[in-house]
Amino acid sequence: MASLSEEVLLVVKRVRQRKQDGTLYLMAERIAWGPEGKDRFTVSHLYADIRCQKISPDGKAKIQLQLVLHTGESTTFHFANESTALKDRDATKELLQQLLPKFKKKANKELEEKNRMLQEDPVLFQLYKDLVVSQVISAEEFWANRLSLSSVEHSISNNNKQEVGISAAFLADIRPQTDGCNGLRYNLTTDIIESIFRTYPTVKQKYSENVPHNMTEKEFWTRFFQSHYFHRDRISTGLQDIFSECAKQDEKGLKSMVTQGVKNPMVDLLSLEDKTLDEGYGTATVPTTSNSSNKSLRENSNSAIIKRFNHHSAMVLAAGLRRADAPSDQASETSSTDGNSRDSDFFQPPLKKVKLQEAIEYDDLQGDSGRKTISLNLKKSDRYSHGPTPLQSQHYTTSQDIITSISIIQHEMRSYKPRLTQVMSSSAASSAIIALSPGGVLMQGGAQQTINQLVPTDVQSELKHLYMAAGELLRHFWSCFPVSTPFLEEKLTGHLEEMLQAAYNKFQAWQTRRMMRKT
Amino acid sequence: FRLNIEGLLVYFPYDYIYPEQYSYMLELKRTLDAKVCYNPFIKLISSCMQYAYPLEVTKLVYCSRTVPEIEKVVEELRKLMDYYAKQTGVKNDFLALALSSRKNLCIHPEVSSLRFGKEVDGKCHSLTASYIRAQHHSNPSQPVCQFFEEFDAVGRQVPIPPGIYNLDDLKDFGRRKGWCPYFLARYAILHANIVVYSYHYLLDPKIADLVSKELAKKSVVVFDEAHNIDNVCIDSMSVNITRRTLDRCQTNVETLQNTISRIKETDAAKLREEYRRLVEGLKEANVARETDIYLSNPVLPDEILQEAVPGSIRTAEHFVGFIKRFLEYLKARLRIHHVVQESAPQFLKDIYEKVCIDRKPLRFCAERLRSLLRTLEIADIADFSAITLISHFATLVSTYSKGFTIIIEPFEDRTPTIANPVLHFSCMDPSIAIKPVFGRFQSVIITSGTLSPLDIYPRILDFRPVTMASFTMTLARTCLCPLIVGRGNDQVAMTSKFETREDFAVIRNYGNLLLEMSAIVPDGIVAFFTSYIYMENIVASWYEQGILENIQRNKLIFIETQDAAETSMALEKYQEACENGRGAILLSVARGKVSEGIDFVHHFGRAVIMFGVPYVYTQSRILKARLEYLRDQFQIRENDFLTFDAMRHAAQCVGRAIRGKTDYGLMIFADKRYARADKRGKLPRWIQEHLTDGSLNLTIDETVQLSKHFLRQMAQPFRREDQLGLSLLTLEQLQSEDMLQKIAQIAQQA
Repeated sequence: MASLSEEVLLVVKRVRQRKQDGTLYLMAERIAWGPEGKDRFTVSHLYADIRCQKISPDGKAKIQLQLVLHTGESTTFHFANESTALKDRDATKELLQQLLPKFKKKANKELEEKNRMLQEDPVLFQLYKDLVVSQVISAEEFWANRLSLSSVEHSISNNNKQEVGISAAFLADIRPQTDGCNGLRYNLTTDIIESIFRTYPTVKQKYSENVPHNMTEKEFWTRFFQSHYFHRDRISTGLQDIFSECAKQDEKGLKSMVTQGVKNPMVDLLSLEDKTLDEGYGTATVPTTSNSSNKSLRENSNSAIIKRFNHHSAMVLAAGLRRADAPSDQASETSSTDGNSRDSDFFQPPLKKVKLQEAIEYDDLQGDSGRKTISLNLKKSDRYSHGPTPLQSQHYTTSQDIITSISIIQHEMRSYKPRLTQVMSSSAASSAIIALSPGGVLMQGGAQQTINQLVPTDVQSELKHLYMAAGELLRHFWSCFPVSTPFLEEKLTGHLEEMLQAAYNKFQAWQTRRMMRKT
Repeated sequence: FRLNIEGLLVYFPYDYIYPEQYSYMLELKRTLDAKVCYNPFIKLISSCMQYAYPLEVTKLVYCSRTVPEIEKVVEELRKLMDYYAKQTGVKNDFLALALSSRKNLCIHPEVSSLRFGKEVDGKCHSLTASYIRAQHHSNPSQPVCQFFEEFDAVGRQVPIPPGIYNLDDLKDFGRRKGWCPYFLARYAILHANIVVYSYHYLLDPKIADLVSKELAKKSVVVFDEAHNIDNVCIDSMSVNITRRTLDRCQTNVETLQNTISRIKETDAAKLREEYRRLVEGLKEANVARETDIYLSNPVLPDEILQEAVPGSIRTAEHFVGFIKRFLEYLKARLRIHHVVQESAPQFLKDIYEKVCIDRKPLRFCAERLRSLLRTLEIADIADFSAITLISHFATLVSTYSKGFTIIIEPFEDRTPTIANPVLHFSCMDPSIAIKPVFGRFQSVIITSGTLSPLDIYPRILDFRPVTMASFTMTLARTCLCPLIVGRGNDQVAMTSKFETREDFAVIRNYGNLLLEMSAIVPDGIVAFFTSYIYMENIVASWYEQGILENIQRNKLIFIETQDAAETSMALEKYQEACENGRGAILLSVARGKVSEGIDFVHHFGRAVIMFGVPYVYTQSRILKARLEYLRDQFQIRENDFLTFDAMRHAAQCVGRAIRGKTDYGLMIFADKRYARADKRGKLPRWIQEHLTDGSLNLTIDETVQLSKHFLRQMAQPFRREDQLGLSLLTLEQLQSEDMLQKIAQIAQQA
């Protein structure tokens, strides 16, 4: 399986896996491990398949690195080279750290989709368990024709799903813990990092600029927490601090938000006052603009906190909305034009009008002005208007036919007289009743139990699963026909046959197990 | 539906009516020829409007405070008129319009793109001033505003078609016709049936004189949201002079001097002409005054326009010399090291002794300057704001001997080391500004949701009300829940009293209260602090104690800042967060812009927390002087006034959360002092009524329990049927006998 063309990024010797010494290779697209003295890799994972890596805590005797795959399996490597184990491990970890995110993005989307499908569809999940987990069929093949099938349909419903927002207190959740010797430890989870990135795009930018090249991830976060950026009084951001730029950019963002003004004229404090007093009039003391310098440091830092909270809240709010906005580009485009830009004066009235109307409406004084309706959201409107149409071609009756038949029926009904006494003789009727009552002739078969009462439910469900698994395999089988490509041929002759065999074996095994249990 | 109120047919544009609305109309009808003071819970503008139309009242002048408020009124009016037209089938020739400043009405592409009202006014003036237009005649390259020209040429002859014009409608109309909407509106208010504009157009003599002078005497004037009306009056009459003002004034004087000497060489006839005019008096100064709004006189004109300008300032040079002397005198006065407080007569005496300036020429200062600037054809009037201010001060100080005080402070109290001398010329008596309004108009109605206690307003505004009434609220469910939180869970008293406000325990308890409330109140919470500095300090220490972080787990936090644009943004984000279900907290300041102008209806404010009693900063000398004046002139005790002032602001803050009977909200007063009878008694009646004895001194825990209970009850579906017959009436119910009796009890004559 080892192809020579692959670029090997890192080779770590003396790595044990399942108590076997071997060598770990990190290649461009996958990580692989081969036992000592052999030419084959017994373990090989594409980076895209890896969900995360875990490392053993620092103090532990065994220095290990665990890879958790998306399928839920995990592989543990034990670095056994006594002198350099730790270094080896860290080198591996860091390289992986850089590599994984690159593949993650690609994998993630698909994976999320798959995960979601499995969660939403219990039948599919069972099928997956039966076929993939028991290794009858590979995961790839299982998904091969499923994703494409459903992706269209689901992408629609997917859009309607709400994005989970960010907790406003995510920074508060990072509680520093003292480690006993004058240090602080922050526990960062991927969620928190994600939150930080989403809320502060500038930090993300810094991260992508710096992390692989200039510093390690750990260093980056250490600096982040040490920086004044993270701390409240962002006044004395030194130049050497990489986050000083972030702070500046935030400031800029805030300013642009402020200058952009507000869309809702009802909350625009600038235009609230109709006629402000000229400078120099009024009893209020003149706002002394000149003495910002003689404000005490404390006051400055206080107002910095306030600014920061406003900014933080705005960013959190924006982060929650950003994704939601993205697909409805057109909508946001139109909404951004009405009122925001100063020159588009003509667009302003609509929004303003709406707000004004809202403001003068007293809903309890109004009569029933009609309930607010929910608009019907149809995926296929023609279906809705036609209803399910029968497949066979039908003989349609003309309206003339219908009218005549109705008139005929009406005519007949008019002359219809029920003659109940002559429907059936009373003796025949009573015998029929007897026959139908319990113990009667016709009710005899009722004593027999139907198959679903006979067979216990667990057997039933197992059988059902097997049946479905077999059905799925057959589907795969038949989908190969007509055999048009060599790939299909290979699939047919090669592992599909194997698979069918495996499924058959599984069924056999189940059968015998059942039999054994019965006896 | 149509109502018959004691013989008067009234159209009501809704299907249902609140009993207090009916009661309000009743009171209004009975006393519509007088000055009234009202305190309704739900002011329904249309109820006032009703009367203007059927009665023989020629004009209704409706004053409100903010631009959105003005626009709301006009929209309600539109609704009423639509309804009226639908009911009667007659299209009436009724003209109602809103008037606002140039900034909100200008459609000139260049001018309207300016951001600040002052810039817009200045630019507009430089395009429309009478002499500019005269210049344009001889020199077509001189830019003028084509909208104004167009309006001036045809706009006056053609009356504006009847209808309801909001600000945007005016602009649209202006664009269609190519007329300037601002001047159109100002012209049209003379024959409009209803005019809606802000207080300043009536109360600020500088503007009122120009805009509202010709309003008919029979007009009915309504001041809505009038709880702050005394401050508006005072502000419009007060002047502050700093060293910077004087410096800029100095440059202005130099510019004037240069211009004069230049003109003297080229066009001496012009100055002679002006001199001749001044000898004749200022009567004809009214001509072409319309566009020269900037330099109008701060005092009421008729006293001055009768007389001729005194000889000592009649020539341009003399006048500039006069101003220079005056300026030097002011400079000298600002060069002090201790605080000086004196009355206007003292000041005049001193100025006479020191620089021999008489009272009479001072009185004409503003008028004389206006004339001079026009003669000199100075285009950019905005540059001359400093000298204008000084001249206004001169006129004011020499006109009013009572009701004003002069305070010269060498430095700010907080920064005693930095010299920053300010001369405050401060009005003590709000009745000075409002007196002409009372004097001129047939009836004046003062109304607000939070006018309380009612009896203090006639005293400080110096008028005799014909009717005063406050209205309770009939409620099918108690949709407001006022609670007074006096203690923390540790039993430490919660108060913003000066001695204990920095106390660690108090701050922590305040924080805990907010934290607990953030966990149980859905959507929006608004919290008000007593002052901006106090809020800053509390926020900082909450941050240090980690309280804010914990609050953030529940809701987003937005904080009012001193920058209006920033606050607007925070406010919008706050609403957005409430709207999308995330929930947010807005920390704000009583007396701030947010508390004065923004409503937090429905989910935008499910709870309002008032941290502390919002007393005004009592160490201010201006305030002290005013208190003294109130005591001497109106026999209002200092403490009474301070409490009254604090409580009206507190009521204003908490009242922001409730609008209509389907709304609901918690009102939490977090200070033990609220429990005292003198404070509690000053809350509006509709809040007091729901303040039970059991909720006067709660701990945080108890508050949370009560709030939970309240919110759970309120969250139940509230249908119209639940209200109907109790707090919401149909026409039939309204006409029943016992309901009418009940309604009679709603209004309480104060």
